[in-house]
Amino acid sequence: MEKLKDALDFSDFSKAERIGLVIFSVFLFAFPWIGAGSFTTTVMIQFLLFSLFGMGWNTIGGYGGQVELGKAQYVGIGSYTVALMMVWWKVPFWVSMPIGILIAVGYSFIIGYPLFRLKGHYFAIATICTSLVLKDIFDNWNLVGAAKGIELPIHDHPDFLYMQFKSDTYYYYFIMALFYIALFYMNWFRKSKLGYQLRMIKDDEDAAESLGIDIRWCKIKAYSIASAFVAVGGGFMAVYNLYIDPASTMELSLSIKIALMAMLGGAASLWGPIIGAAFLVPLDRFLGSWLGGQKGLTGIDFMIYAALIMIVSAYQPRGIWGIIEQFRKRGH
Amino acid sequence: MKIRNAAVLSLVLFLSLLIASPAAFSAEKEIKIGVLYPLSGALATIGRDLQRAAELTADIINDKAPGVDIPMAQWGGIPSLGGAKIKLIFKDHRGEPDRGADLAKSLILDDKVVGLMGAYNSAVTKTVSAVAERYGIPMINDSSTSPDLTERGFKWFWRTTPHDNYFNRDLFELLKGLTEGKVKGVKAVPKKDLQNLAYACENTEWGSSVAKSIEGYAKEYGFTITKGLLYNANAPDLTSEAKALVAAKPAAMLFAAYLSDSLLMIRTLKGMKAQTKFFWGQDAGFEMADFAKTLGADINGVLTRTVFIDKITRVKKVAGQVNALYKKKYGDDLTGATARSVVGVQAWAYVLNKAASTDPKAIQKACNEINIPANDLVMPWAGVKFDAKGQNVLGRGLIGQYQKTADGKVSLEIVYPFDLATANFIYPFPGWK
Amino acid sequence: MLIADALLQGILMGLLFALVSLGLTVIFGVMDIVNFAHGEFLMLGMYSVYWANLFFHIDPLIALPVSAVVGVLLGLASYYCFIKYLLRGPAIAQLFGTFGLMLFLQYFAMFLFSADYRMIDKGLLVGKSLSVGPFIFDWTKLAAGILSLIAFAVVYYFLHKTKTGKALQATSLNKEAASYMGIRTDRMNAIAWAIGGGTVGMAGGLLVNFYYAYPMVGILFVMIAFACVALGGFGSIKGVFFAGLLVGILEMIFPVFGHLIGSDFLGPHFKFTVVYLAYFIIVVVRPQGLFGWKN
Repeated sequence: MEKLKDALDFSDFSKAERIGLVIFSVFLFAFPWIGAGSFTTTVMIQFLLFSLFGMGWNTIGGYGGQVELGKAQYVGIGSYTVALMMVWWKVPFWVSMPIGILIAVGYSFIIGYPLFRLKGHYFAIATICTSLVLKDIFDNWNLVGAAKGIELPIHDHPDFLYMQFKSDTYYYYFIMALFYIALFYMNWFRKSKLGYQLRMIKDDEDAAESLGIDIRWCKIKAYSIASAFVAVGGGFMAVYNLYIDPASTMELSLSIKIALMAMLGGAASLWGPIIGAAFLVPLDRFLGSWLGGQKGLTGIDFMIYAALIMIVSAYQPRGIWGIIEQFRKRGH
Repeated sequence: MKIRNAAVLSLVLFLSLLIASPAAFSAEKEIKIGVLYPLSGALATIGRDLQRAAELTADIINDKAPGVDIPMAQWGGIPSLGGAKIKLIFKDHRGEPDRGADLAKSLILDDKVVGLMGAYNSAVTKTVSAVAERYGIPMINDSSTSPDLTERGFKWFWRTTPHDNYFNRDLFELLKGLTEGKVKGVKAVPKKDLQNLAYACENTEWGSSVAKSIEGYAKEYGFTITKGLLYNANAPDLTSEAKALVAAKPAAMLFAAYLSDSLLMIRTLKGMKAQTKFFWGQDAGFEMADFAKTLGADINGVLTRTVFIDKITRVKKVAGQVNALYKKKYGDDLTGATARSVVGVQAWAYVLNKAASTDPKAIQKACNEINIPANDLVMPWAGVKFDAKGQNVLGRGLIGQYQKTADGKVSLEIVYPFDLATANFIYPFPGWK
Repeated sequence: MLIADALLQGILMGLLFALVSLGLTVIFGVMDIVNFAHGEFLMLGMYSVYWANLFFHIDPLIALPVSAVVGVLLGLASYYCFIKYLLRGPAIAQLFGTFGLMLFLQYFAMFLFSADYRMIDKGLLVGKSLSVGPFIFDWTKLAAGILSLIAFAVVYYFLHKTKTGKALQATSLNKEAASYMGIRTDRMNAIAWAIGGGTVGMAGGLLVNFYYAYPMVGILFVMIAFACVALGGFGSIKGVFFAGLLVGILEMIFPVFGHLIGSDFLGPHFKFTVVYLAYFIIVVVRPQGLFGWKN
């Protein structure tokens, strides 16, 4: 009960932030009815999905301050569990997704234990390497479809058990529900004991250790929480796209995208990953659909995208949220 | 007063109707077809070529092309739909399956397209066709060759191009032909000289399914695979792969490679002075214009499967006419990939004409019944006719051989099917220059 | 026989990998930054030699200094225009800053040169090979290996014997102490980027002799370079040399090993997986890499 209260309690934020959250929530709920078109809906779904990924990454990467670049492997685990169980044994989504989370968490403990012996850049490169190894294995493992990937059977009628709907609106509300669960969880997490311990570790590992904090164990816990979040998103991707392959679920670029959005929005802040996703996802999708097909301008959309990443990371290392706070302080 | 007012009003109404009516009745109707290709990212080059070919075909249908002897070139729109023009709406999926699915939804719901075409990458075609299936919108696939695509029992998916199993069987027919002396310019080769084969396929979905299919046909035709390997097309180095192939001492080396790895593989094999009876590539890299441009005379004697070779123009008049238009506009000859996109748009036009409606059900029916005669196609196919799974059963592949021309360049000559052969088969592989 | 052959080929590739990774480790040593855009310097080095060869008919080997100069200029430009401002932020912001630079350079190259694959077809050594007994070597690879070794030796000499080099080493060992001794960190950083860009540009110039250039080519090599640098120990010159060799040999030996035990599953498609796995295992046992001293 206490935890639930904490999760729903946003009172330590400023008034402006709370009003912003309310407006944002009203917008999210009303969005399917404003008639924005199906492409915008798909963009919103991507935005919510990547906010979810980003919030997960934020536990270890933001609050814990570890440069984690291997989240895609957990997207893969989540989506492959859902897809394989559905194709092999017709297991409903609501059963296979929790199993996917369990597998992801179990795997993250196995990987995390040796991984957190490492620090700094050694850790960063090692997370990339583990993700690449897993992708290579899936790419060549015939049992799980190898590089061919897996197609989920299409159901003719809307099916809540298998999360199959024709209209994106259902998916939209589903991912929105997941988004809010994640948001409330993160709101609790940042105030939890683990949250404080992680921030202490981030500030000064030696000091944290002298206070009796088990650094490695804390990091592993945060890492597996992050993995669980990402696996949920992966499961969603499987039923939403109806097709998964190692290239679209485990690629390094996906890992980087997840971390990039959270970092660019503002790591170690509750709003950061959401802002980052709200900024980068529409930018990527809309720029791509406006400029991607233009003749003679191949690559322009990516150049704008890249330039913005460069500018933000050089101008304000704390991300877009940092820029917003900077302006607010100036305003006072 | 009132009567006068009424008279003026009716006059105004009448006049405005008069002015408006031609616009209202002869307003050119448009039929929108959504086309998804990889227009940016690593596959941008091929994607843009496909786009050009599709646009050219739409222009031939919409604006008439007097010099082309295909009925559709005299249509000036879709006849059964009152001369409605075909409008292609291109979207760039960058080779990402999820982006493809999102764009397909946008095409169906926002742009209200009548049908879809694309998407080149088999993986993207999978998600795009799943969207089309959910919304009951017909999709004609022009260029993805993964055999699986038409094995899924979809009701809204048709494919004009032959798939990889056709092409792999062609290879073994050619091998069989060699042993029986059917190949132009080569005496019958004893089978033991060709017994052992080796393949190297890239390990994404396409390459690995080609590998499996080659193994299957080898068994069926009584050949032995002495070495088969899968490799990562993005490898910074293919030395060990090439070594393994050379060490197997096969009679023929078979490849499924994209452009980058095909260039690297041939260069690496040349560096090792690899010797074998012949090299065969399963399309993609091997048949691209850049492959010949980059490797030049090195590939004299190398074989590739394809669906279109500009030499076809000698045997097929319409192919030459369309090719001339394409070359005039863009400076290149049509290739296997781009010619498929021509047929894709053409199939859409014929289907729409037959359906005489833009209703999905009518189009579905038309697709299932369509029969495009061989003479109307730029391809050397027996026509376009879909089976119950949506696969065109009248398509067939070609095998071409790069041969050195007098000016030191190489050109692709047809060596299979035997009735279309345009040159003597160079056998065995003449060695590196 | 197979193994000996794989060893020799592996050493040649390994020398090149080492040269590619050298700049990364020098930059890291001096300023603790992992440069994602490193592969793009390689890519632009490749293009510079390619264009010099195409337009001015300069032999790719003679055009090598062009790629080195392009690399040095790129390194300096990136440092003064961008990286300098990035240094204020935490490690993760730096990482993504260079990631942004990587994307930018990739698509800038695509914008300028299109996504076509380009390969040199005219050149002194292009397409020629050398037979020594049972072994056959690609001349271009042989040259790349030998020139990599020379370039490596030059940089090593520079870092260990010259005054500037020693200052650079001092900075990478202890930045604060070095700045007390009057070594200007800013200048050292710039030199590190110049060396980093120059060596990898040159590696690109060597690579283009037998490898295709295209805008995304960098990422293939930068992943290996990351593994080499981390394996050798971040900032260690000696480490990156041996790690490069190790990666090159591992990559060649593994498929031979798979072949010898007759396994199709352990084929060449796993050759770089093994490299990453080896990195993971070695680093877990020895968290500072083979020759590293930093944490």
